[in-house]
Amino acid sequence: MSSSDNRPDGQTLTVSIGPLFSTPVLEWLFWLMLAGMVYALTDNFDEPIAEYQFGASGWPRVLCAALAFGATAQLFYKLTRKRPGPEEPSGKSADQANEVAPPILSLRAKLQRAGVFATPFVYLYVMPEIGFYVATPFFILAILLLLEVRSIKALTSVTAVVYGLVLLIFTRFFYVALPVGRIESFYDLNNWIIAFVRTGM
Amino acid sequence: MIEFVNGTLALFGDPTAVMIFGFGLIGGMLFGAIPGVNMLTLGAVLLPFTINMAPNHAVMLFSVIYCAGVFGGAITAILFNIPGAPENAPTCFDGYPMTVQGKSGKAIGAAVSCSAIGGVASAVVMMAATPLIAGWAVRAFGPQEIFALIFFGLAVSASVGAETLWKGWLSVFAGLLIATIGTDPVGGVPRFNGGSVMGFEFSSYYLSAGIHFIPMILGFFAVSEVFVQAMSIAEGKRKRPKASLEFPSLVEFWSVRFTMLRSMVLGFFAGILPGIGATLAAFLGYSQAVRWSKTPERFGKGELAGVVASETANNSATGAAMIPLLALGLPGGALTAMIMGIFQIHGMEPGPLIFINSSDLVWVTFAAMFWANLCIVFLGWLQTKTVVHILNVPFRWLAPGILLLATIGAFALRNLTIDVWVMFLAGAIGFFLRRTGYSAAGIVLGLILGKLGESAFAKSMQLMDYDVFGFFSRPIAAFLLIAALLTVASSIWNEVRGRELQKALID
Repeated sequence: MSSSDNRPDGQTLTVSIGPLFSTPVLEWLFWLMLAGMVYALTDNFDEPIAEYQFGASGWPRVLCAALAFGATAQLFYKLTRKRPGPEEPSGKSADQANEVAPPILSLRAKLQRAGVFATPFVYLYVMPEIGFYVATPFFILAILLLLEVRSIKALTSVTAVVYGLVLLIFTRFFYVALPVGRIESFYDLNNWIIAFVRTGM
Repeated sequence: MIEFVNGTLALFGDPTAVMIFGFGLIGGMLFGAIPGVNMLTLGAVLLPFTINMAPNHAVMLFSVIYCAGVFGGAITAILFNIPGAPENAPTCFDGYPMTVQGKSGKAIGAAVSCSAIGGVASAVVMMAATPLIAGWAVRAFGPQEIFALIFFGLAVSASVGAETLWKGWLSVFAGLLIATIGTDPVGGVPRFNGGSVMGFEFSSYYLSAGIHFIPMILGFFAVSEVFVQAMSIAEGKRKRPKASLEFPSLVEFWSVRFTMLRSMVLGFFAGILPGIGATLAAFLGYSQAVRWSKTPERFGKGELAGVVASETANNSATGAAMIPLLALGLPGGALTAMIMGIFQIHGMEPGPLIFINSSDLVWVTFAAMFWANLCIVFLGWLQTKTVVHILNVPFRWLAPGILLLATIGAFALRNLTIDVWVMFLAGAIGFFLRRTGYSAAGIVLGLILGKLGESAFAKSMQLMDYDVFGFFSRPIAAFLLIAALLTVASSIWNEVRGRELQKALID
């Protein structure tokens, strides 16, 4: 399944969004499962509160019911609306008929897309281990490469400027205690960078 | 009037006061505009230094920071889809699409002018009627009215940004559900941070504090925008937005006069209520602009009225928020609580007597807020002429900076890595939400108002002895609830009849 996103500048982004929301029924099932799972979790704190008869689980349970109701109403609405009219024997709406076919992506483009999503999470995973100050230049470089910056001059200068500004603003001017790493050598290196940036303060 | 003139003379006749005024103005704007820090950061840093300041200087400084900070967040919201503060989130809906269309100058111009107009109007009403309005608002608004107002706010905002009404409500419910993570507001019982489901045991100490809305906002707006742009770069479809310096014309301003007036009134009343403030004001202003517009389908795609509605409403709330603080000693938010702290540091108690005992201080503060809002026009104009040139920098060079700012902003909030995880997860979810027609704005609104709504509901139930119809025995609560129910009913009616609903923030 694909979805078209008409952007304000006239561009049309067509992105394949996988089978998760491919039919209204699957979408309904997703919400029902979510509501059911959350409802099951409320058993863990279903305890009475003095002078409040709905307890700690009352409000979340009502919201679970509301989610289930909303999802069912949406399914009902979509199914009744999607019935083919006499002028549409194939069952396709005008919008669907006009929908632009999604582009076929090369393996490189697919990897590039996956990289854009994965890189921040990898950065977050390694940051507590090797520290913000060591991980950040590599993160900046990775993002630039994923965004197809190939010039060595641009890669080095943008990394230096962004990293430098971050150090200047958040370490020298307004000290934000960012992670310095758990691995000893990285811990020392991070602290050395902080001490260097804050020289004279 | 005489008091205002005296306050103005006291402000501008004292070089120290002028310096403090200028510092607060520029500092508030800068801190409001940088996502990693905000006006509260500046307030927290400056609070200890106020001990050595004259009380009128200290209170005036924080009031000016408040006015300027609320406006400052609009700049990044418009240029990069990163709201500097939650109250600027609705500004993104139309401000950023305007930037994409090469109308950034108009969007910032509208934000500047409307922030100033909203703020000045609010300051004037604050000067004219503080004791009267504060007394009425606090007596008339109990937990029942607050719950009814939140319900009304959710009812009118549910479809903002969603493809259909159902998707809007599902988004709001999801946000309300996320808000229940942490602890129960009545008994402090831990919720969703440990236990077992289907034999799977889990426990998280970090979730005890709940999911904060700031990482969610940064994720839904800033991170997901980077993902979207990265995808379009991967597909070779991205076009760089043009930097524009064009201000909105008088004709354009005239065409949004009713939007401005409506947002002013809504913002003012939302601002008076403790804990509600500028965020709900901005969402209410925006959703009402969509509701009353003859062309609601244009909202979310770069409609000037969207920026006007949000920015007028959130700045109208600033003056209003000072009313319960000064007249009754009730701070409505974090920054007004800091101002309360300044009063206490200097041995004063805000309340009705402050108008008699410290009249000079009150009028210098009023005058400073009035002039700060006027100065926003000039400083904002300068910003428009300078900041929009950032758009000439290729997005691929800006993207790492945006992600890093968002990362630091999310982390600095509570020094928790989990907030950064939440932000990136929200970014990934936001990317898919944009393509499936669900509303990131709805989730954020549900998350922001969820805890407050639950707390107000629980208190109402206890006060009314669990009689739900008790809401209808209080005129304001009844009016708001009926208005909310009518809004829901008419939205469902429109949806069922197949009318095209307002579709904002899909992209």
